[in-house]
Amino acid sequence: MRKLILGVIGPSMVVSFLLAIVCIIDPGETLAMDQHSWNNQEKAILRSLWLGSLDPLPVDPSNKYSDNPKAAALGRKFFFEDHFSGNMKVSCATCHREDYFFTDNLPLSHGMDTTPRRSMPLIGVAYNSWFFWDGRTDSLWAQALGPIENKLEHGISRTMSAYIISKYYSKEYEELFGSLPDFMEDAFPHHARPALDDPDALKAWVLMTPEQRGEVNKVYVNMGKSIAAFVRTIIPQPAPFDRYVEQILAGETITSRMALTDDEVAGLRLFIGKAKCTNCHNGPMFTNSDFHNLGLPQRGKGGPDMGRAAAITEVLRSEFNCLSKYSDAHPNDCLELRFIDTSDKKYVGAFKTPTLRSVTERPPYMHAGQFATLREVLEFYRSQADNPELGHKGLTDKELDQLEAFLHTLSSPVSSLQAEVK
Amino acid sequence: MLEGIFDKIKREEVMKKILLIVGVLFFLLAGCAAKEEETTGWYENFKKQQQMQEMEAGQMQEMAAEQGHMEAGQMQEMAAEHSHGEAGQMQEMAAEHGHGEVKVTKHFDESLTKLTDNNLYSLELVVPDKYLKMGVNTVEIIVHHATGGDVPQAELTVTPWMPSMGHGVMQKPVITERGGGLYSVDNVVLSMTGHWQLQVKVAKDDKEDAAVFDFPEVKAMGHQHAMMHAPPPEDLDFSTMKMTANEAFHVTYQSIGGQIRINRIHSWELTIKDAAGEPVNDATVTVVGDMPEHGHGLPTEPEVSTMGVGGFYRIDGMKFTMPGWWVVTISIMINGVHDSVSFNLNIL
Repeated sequence: MRKLILGVIGPSMVVSFLLAIVCIIDPGETLAMDQHSWNNQEKAILRSLWLGSLDPLPVDPSNKYSDNPKAAALGRKFFFEDHFSGNMKVSCATCHREDYFFTDNLPLSHGMDTTPRRSMPLIGVAYNSWFFWDGRTDSLWAQALGPIENKLEHGISRTMSAYIISKYYSKEYEELFGSLPDFMEDAFPHHARPALDDPDALKAWVLMTPEQRGEVNKVYVNMGKSIAAFVRTIIPQPAPFDRYVEQILAGETITSRMALTDDEVAGLRLFIGKAKCTNCHNGPMFTNSDFHNLGLPQRGKGGPDMGRAAAITEVLRSEFNCLSKYSDAHPNDCLELRFIDTSDKKYVGAFKTPTLRSVTERPPYMHAGQFATLREVLEFYRSQADNPELGHKGLTDKELDQLEAFLHTLSSPVSSLQAEVK
Repeated sequence: MLEGIFDKIKREEVMKKILLIVGVLFFLLAGCAAKEEETTGWYENFKKQQQMQEMEAGQMQEMAAEQGHMEAGQMQEMAAEHSHGEAGQMQEMAAEHGHGEVKVTKHFDESLTKLTDNNLYSLELVVPDKYLKMGVNTVEIIVHHATGGDVPQAELTVTPWMPSMGHGVMQKPVITERGGGLYSVDNVVLSMTGHWQLQVKVAKDDKEDAAVFDFPEVKAMGHQHAMMHAPPPEDLDFSTMKMTANEAFHVTYQSIGGQIRINRIHSWELTIKDAAGEPVNDATVTVVGDMPEHGHGLPTEPEVSTMGVGGFYRIDGMKFTMPGWWVVTISIMINGVHDSVSFNLNIL
């Protein structure tokens, strides 16, 4: 037994001695550097979150105009055009404010009236597979058309949109999409749309000839495709977090030069580790673009919000989906729609994971603005210990502080296309 | 300061050695006990190990010191006495029990018990996640004699069954005996929600008996359900080439386009060969993805198509939206032969 103990003490003496030497030579600096040292697996995760890993804008096979600069310039005008509304005051930019990271500061957005959900942040939205909080469209152009005919948002119709385009944008439109039918000559009703919530508009729509409906739809779809071409260009610029990852990948060792503070780095470590945030907030846009029910309190008018569960059939039967005649895609390219998970029970009350880029700059939070501050969000996550999707339990107050500090490092200006056409 | 580090490291090293000694002694002890009496087996070891772990470090040291003085022989005697006592008690207890009702000592608090139809055995079913879910499940069964005592080396058959539909599943559960009457049952695949039964048959020494466990409401463990986490086993096998559970087929998968990337719809190429190495074409192949730590499946519904030659198949529509441990189960059915294989994946 004595031999054994001596055998143990021997090597441990050597170890302690070495430790002591290290401490004498390099007081402080080593400890501080420890915080910035990441193993290979962690570095791989950091790289995966880094903006430098962001792929080029994904091709939208259903929109052949998506990378056309002229379409984007026209789409930008449409985006800010408040004629496309029942009271001539609402544009896309009303709820997607350019000065507020293309969302707004309201718990529930307000167009013509108050909507049941919050406005979705548009930063890097083109990288999503599904659009809206519940993913009820499978392309950005189909998404852009939804609010126009929604009574609570723009509150107009596709015939009215075609009329406005032919009145104010005919030249730019025709340059891109060919000649417009003569909408000016009262040949078309001003308020006609295939909607069950407006019998008059529906009747007017049904009474139009199939050719007329086709012509209106064509203009309406091109309007959506132009808006999508613009919204695609809304992408984040590098944030302090991205600069930090660059430093780590480049092997920077001088602590004082690091782009993040100790607390921020501690938060980052939690984010990719113990707090399991990367379960859903992964990739350079910090989202998996999938749908999850977090057990959030219900908010807004009407019955319970079914979220994704109700959107599955909606997107499958949508007149503007990837497989529709208005899509430019070959059916084989409509992968998301073809392989859509139709098990709706799984998605009751599930909403899309939003991006965390610039998240601290644009409260309130969650799909119906349930929380005014990020701290409330983090507290809520911690409280949901039983939800296997979250699993953030056991976080201390200090750790929540650190996570919050880290989230601040994701803030960066948004670059978006400037209008090229006068 | 320096002294402090010294002491700490010394203490830790000594503790490690002591733990090692205790471990070795314990192992010997357990081994002897197992030889003496089969019924103690794994469960006693398991319990003791747990108790040991729960002990405070201080206590541990004291104990180790005490044990150090003991002779190995003494300890063996003690262990033997202990296990005899235990077995005797169990038998006594069992003798008191009448027929029809299960009254053997349960090894797990939250397990379900059932007496087999001819009162030969009483079965204890442990569902690790507390309830079965749609998808891939793993359960454990402890076979007791109806009169008490565990039953090792029995032949178990477990069949998931949907009484209202009159069908089971293609996937066959995989049974592994763990010793001392414990059997783990992997790959219990429930293909839909609703009323399920697990039919368990036990055969040993020409005596066969069966029992049915009923699960009136198996749910889709969707996003809204709270459920237990299943942390990945440490020795997870990530190989892309495997035999099916009943060794009927040899399956290889490969992601087309290289490494699987998170959040991307992609395709897999499967190669299926029979046990003799001949390619298997035109089998009915299904794919189920599951994330055991979260209890939900793939965010897509993949499609499998056969290439018609070389045992090649293509799976389109694979997508993983969470990093971590995924299990993809491939089921193969051809000419009345059903078999399946589960691949583990670590998505980054």
